[in-house]
Amino acid sequence: MNRNAFVFLICITLILTPGSSLANPGGNGDGDRDYSCGGSCHGDPALSMPSEATIEITLGNEVFSGQAVAIHVTIEDISTPSNIIGIFILGSLNGNSDTPEDHGWHLIQDPNGGSSNYIETKAASSGSVTVTWVLLSPTNSGSHSLYAEIHHGGYPGDKAYSGVSEKFEVIVQDVPEGLPGLANDWIAPSFRVSGDNSPLSISTRNSTDISVEWMLDGEWNPISVESVCIELTEDFCNDWEVSIPATMGEANILYRVTTYNGTFAIEQPWLKMGTAPPPFEGEVWSARAHSFAFALLIISFLVTLQARLYPTIERDNMDQTQIVASSEMVRSEENPGWLWNPESQEWIEDPEYNGGNE
Amino acid sequence: MVGAATFHTAMAEIVVGSMVLATLCAIGCSISRIVPTSEINNESLMVTMDRASLAGSVLALIFLPIAILSGNIAADGQAESALLYNKFVYSGLALGFWSAFVIGRIRMGPGLWEERPLAFLQSATAGVAFLMTSMASSIGGKLVRGESLFDVLPFWLPTETASILPLWASFSLLTLGITSSALVFKFTLPKIVRIE
Repeated sequence: MNRNAFVFLICITLILTPGSSLANPGGNGDGDRDYSCGGSCHGDPALSMPSEATIEITLGNEVFSGQAVAIHVTIEDISTPSNIIGIFILGSLNGNSDTPEDHGWHLIQDPNGGSSNYIETKAASSGSVTVTWVLLSPTNSGSHSLYAEIHHGGYPGDKAYSGVSEKFEVIVQDVPEGLPGLANDWIAPSFRVSGDNSPLSISTRNSTDISVEWMLDGEWNPISVESVCIELTEDFCNDWEVSIPATMGEANILYRVTTYNGTFAIEQPWLKMGTAPPPFEGEVWSARAHSFAFALLIISFLVTLQARLYPTIERDNMDQTQIVASSEMVRSEENPGWLWNPESQEWIEDPEYNGGNE
Repeated sequence: MVGAATFHTAMAEIVVGSMVLATLCAIGCSISRIVPTSEINNESLMVTMDRASLAGSVLALIFLPIAILSGNIAADGQAESALLYNKFVYSGLALGFWSAFVIGRIRMGPGLWEERPLAFLQSATAGVAFLMTSMASSIGGKLVRGESLFDVLPFWLPTETASILPLWASFSLLTLGITSSALVFKFTLPKIVRIE
């Protein structure tokens, strides 16, 4: 009875050991997503609750059509045990085609260094966080809307939380003729491989010159670097290379480009570039050969060990009658009392021989 | 149509399940020979555990190559990370240990459990084989879900870093493996016969 109870208790413990979790705790990672991920738990009224956090959008600089602009999203008073928070920047709240790209914006860089409208980050223990997207504004001037939405988890037993900001209106002004800026098709690189000090390519438009300054994430004193024009066309140069020092480990570099058209200068938003580990250099055929080599070597080693530990049989003291009886020994009339073993090619004594007496 | 990754998961689950049975029973056989005979620890239990360990390991050995092949297809013929490279290596180690376990049991018969050093070797082989198999499957969990059951353990065999061999070194090692196993099968294996 006690044994049954013990086994029952072990089974119950094993069943209860895995923590209960819903859907995708910790999120699905950065990506391009519509409002509420097109019907996730956070967007389902039956499975979600409104977040108590406050969400605010601010602009980092004046907005000209087709020019880079920094959009800051500040979240405060968030209450989540893991502090993990998913943040969207959206062009509408329709549930489909909501990304800023769908509304004429172009994502240059998200707060994690990629180019997604949804990112996951961690809030400070105070429950607040500020993140920055760098976007190229729509080419048509006028009023444009942006929204910020958050998703986060709660304490065990709670539902999924969701919150959305007020509509944030951005007035995009007509761009003055010849305004220098970043090229529409240029995407800021998210990462550089650790130790890579190759020059960074920057594409601009209407620029006669650029200046670039950089600093490590967390520092406050930017350092200027020289830029080299790659291709000069008429009066403008729109392809540049700058040498930003290599980074190691998990260091992030912040850099800012200032574009010039003559004496007129436009300071672009700060951009972030992370450090990626070197690419893995293993080959699949090497891995396969390595794997089968280990398999064969292990078999060889263990079979040898089995033979080594195999009990030794004292053949001299054994009764060999059965061995002889079961084997195909050849009895020879020329050699009475001896049997020829064709396998071992040797003569052995005939245990049944009685000296010729029948 | 079932995707290669789903098929691989199903095969891996069969392999791991069979191997859990085989490992527990193999260790049970060794323990059964150490502790005194009692109402529970009797000959019938010993025979059952021996047969269960043999059945489990043979079943796993049949499905292990299928799991490895389907994993290869699921990985799209790439070893693009240290985790994936290590998955290949641990799979090979698991295949080696389980093959040695089955060869030993089939050649020597159930009498091997009567020989203490052999019984210890056999159960240790099963234990290490199971560790290698579960490492390979845990890497699968890491790759797909980002977590594994081994995360809760205080130790963890190396998976995030891999000792990459150049192609020529891998093939040299493979040649050595083929040669050594050919020699062992030709000269050593015939010496191991059924223990009565």
